[in-house]
Amino acid sequence: MSQMLSPDMTIATEAAAKVKIEVKNLNFYYGQSKALKDITLSLPERSVTAFIGPSGCGKSTLLRVFNRIYELYPKQTAEGQVLLDGQNVLDRSQDLNLLRTKIGMVFQKPTPFPMSIYENIAFGVRLYEKISKAEMDGRVEQALKRAALWNEVKDKLNASGLSLSGGQQQRLCIARTVAVKPEVILLDEPASALDPLSTAKIEELIDELQADYTIVIVTHNMQQAARVSKQTAFMYLGELVEFDKTEKIFTSPREKRTQDYITGRFG
Amino acid sequence: MSAVQEALPAVRGSRDAIVRRFALTDAIFHGMTRAAAILVLVLLGGVAISLFAGSWQALSTFGFSFLTSESWNPVTEKFGALAPIYGTIVTSAIAILIAVPLGIGIAIFLTELCPRPLRRPIGMAVELLAGIPSIIYGIWGLFVLAPFLQTTIQPFIISVFHGIPGLNSLFAGPPYGIGLLTSSLILAIMVLPFITSITKDVFDTVPPVLKESAYGIGCTTWEVTRRVVIPYTRIGIMGGVMLGLGRALGETMAVTFVIGNAHRISTSLFAPATTISATIANEFTEAVGDLYTSSLVALGLILFVITFLILAIARYMLMRIDARTGA
Amino acid sequence: MSTASSLHTRRKTRNSVMMTLCVVAAGIGLAWLALILGALVYKGAAGLSFDVFTQMTPPPGDAGGLLNAIYGSVVMTVIAVIVGTPIGVLAGTYMAEYGRFSKLTTVVRFINDILLSAPSIIIGLFVYELMVRPMGHFSAIAGAVALAILVIPVVVRTTEDMLNLVPNALREAGTAIGAPRWVVIKSVAYRAALSGIVTGILLSIARISGETAPLLFTALNNQFWSSNLNAPMASLPVTIFQFALSPYEEWQQLAWTGALIITLTVLALSIVARSLTGRREDK
Repeated sequence: MSQMLSPDMTIATEAAAKVKIEVKNLNFYYGQSKALKDITLSLPERSVTAFIGPSGCGKSTLLRVFNRIYELYPKQTAEGQVLLDGQNVLDRSQDLNLLRTKIGMVFQKPTPFPMSIYENIAFGVRLYEKISKAEMDGRVEQALKRAALWNEVKDKLNASGLSLSGGQQQRLCIARTVAVKPEVILLDEPASALDPLSTAKIEELIDELQADYTIVIVTHNMQQAARVSKQTAFMYLGELVEFDKTEKIFTSPREKRTQDYITGRFG
Repeated sequence: MSAVQEALPAVRGSRDAIVRRFALTDAIFHGMTRAAAILVLVLLGGVAISLFAGSWQALSTFGFSFLTSESWNPVTEKFGALAPIYGTIVTSAIAILIAVPLGIGIAIFLTELCPRPLRRPIGMAVELLAGIPSIIYGIWGLFVLAPFLQTTIQPFIISVFHGIPGLNSLFAGPPYGIGLLTSSLILAIMVLPFITSITKDVFDTVPPVLKESAYGIGCTTWEVTRRVVIPYTRIGIMGGVMLGLGRALGETMAVTFVIGNAHRISTSLFAPATTISATIANEFTEAVGDLYTSSLVALGLILFVITFLILAIARYMLMRIDARTGA
Repeated sequence: MSTASSLHTRRKTRNSVMMTLCVVAAGIGLAWLALILGALVYKGAAGLSFDVFTQMTPPPGDAGGLLNAIYGSVVMTVIAVIVGTPIGVLAGTYMAEYGRFSKLTTVVRFINDILLSAPSIIIGLFVYELMVRPMGHFSAIAGAVALAILVIPVVVRTTEDMLNLVPNALREAGTAIGAPRWVVIKSVAYRAALSGIVTGILLSIARISGETAPLLFTALNNQFWSSNLNAPMASLPVTIFQFALSPYEEWQQLAWTGALIITLTVLALSIVARSLTGRREDK
């Protein structure tokens, strides 16, 4: 695969950008079947990278390797390297909980915890930080503001997280992720279960968050990838077909398969 | 923005300690849950071992004849389990014979015939009745059913079958009220809710498409039930029946009230008899001498082995239907 | 043509006959159960009075109540639940969480289902061999242990089932935020499954509150007030058993009344338990 990647692909953005996550020769297996085939790519810091491709192409699987969430299930194994700031997160010595505080994740369906809005956010913070009530109030407010949810919920922080609308729940999940101060945020089709208005809000939010966080978003909505990301990886059948600046992928892709996909000829 | 990056190194040092504590707590919690799960296995193993140990004296004294001897004599200390085994099997078998058609009938009624608004209440009533303690059935059997049978039904049946060879010994007098048949009736009503609710549950697993296509070619409700629903759910129904049988075999209190506790094998269904569980319940605290106690524990062991096998088969069957529906 | 139509008539007739039989079956079943409950209410309510809850069980031929029996039942039930529930919840947690994919879980599930329907008198014998024989005497604590062993499989089953209903997405979300497994279980999974787990506990209480057989030779019975856990203790079901089989009318009346009390308790517990999960399913 690596010979396929031209030098300008590995550093897809401006030369100044530092590499945050570097994936080297990654293979992934569900039992015997190989779901990711020798993936190599580098994600620059503080920008949005999109993974696109048809269902089952491995884009979500790749995302789930970054924070090793796949380890909740048996018979799923990863080989190769995923370097976060130069450190291999696939190392056995890597503490998983600590890794996940550095790499947050937001899921396809909103997953508010069965507790109040306030507790949904305080829950993650409290795990690793002993802070006063006043500080916690501040953190909750800050996180909710960050997720553009504060104005809608500031009067009902003790209401159940489940009482919010779908779009609000998803922003609550983003707030919850932001509150624990991660370095990377993984978004697994974060807007696919939402209405267009909520989707627009989430996209706006992603745009703002990239100033502080390295963001990786999986989406099968190509317009969304085009709107929110700086670089885009196109995956097909477990392979990384093409990885480049988003505008390049959507205007003049090098690969025929990419061309076919973005023009809607398959998938 | 830079606040985010700067805050991290300061936090990191204390995080290592927290991470270590988390790992430890998680290992402890994991260990506790695993130990509890293993305890469930230990419990069943403990039951088997203690019953075996407790019955050793009786089994080594009487050997195989414990299973084949009918005598139960505390005075001469001669014990055989045949009469209680006979009573247990006969009462349970009759109970199942009565309860299965009724239970399947009610399940068909609930899934096919019952007006929709009534389905939930009746279904719920059936499930609630499954939870009523057996002693309630026992006390009702003793004070209401047995006198009723004794004064009306039994004399009638005895007189009707009086001259018919075979049946006259099956229904031979005198009418005590209590006895094998009364126990069977009580057991039948006890296991009925179980069989009904499981049958109804497995009927619900039949894909609607299957039924619709049968109706589509012009089948009547009965034909759909008989040719599609019942064949499709056969294993599940069998599982439910076995589960009901397991309960009937082991049921103690309902039977103890109305069986009569007589250690003999009689051809008449009206005769007092005994079952394994009723014998244990009636005699255990009054048993004098180790051999007597040990013989009662040996009865328990036999019951345990029988019910274990029946329940294992029942669970296996129900698991198979679960696997098919992907539940 | 005429054979076809006669066949059709025959099929229709058979259908009507079978369907009528099903209705009859339902009628018989419901009527039978109504008879039992009717007799229970009729005979039990006759003896229901204040004295039942304030007086001790009387000697033969005297008036009295069921206070010591009710007390004994409550004490042993409470101990059984305190002992049995944590074990059941933990085991269920292992099966649905840590050990969801392990072989051990499959085995435990099978064995637990067998324990769930094992004859309770066998459990009584087991505890007799385990505790009564070594201790040399019957005791309330032995009775409570026997009941606890009946609580465990019910709670294991419902806990596992309810935790399995918690969406994996919720576990992943908790894990993704950096929470260790036990925190995810405690703060997310338990919370999401709470009403179901409580249902299981209530159902287990309903089950043991009427159990007689396992108490017969563990807690035995006690004619008098006793709060000593190391001594025989009265319980409602055993008292009913003893009184119902006696020739004394006062005792038989108390047995009916006790039976009504137990039935109402069990029904109330089951209805509360089911309404808890019923709400859940509607969501």
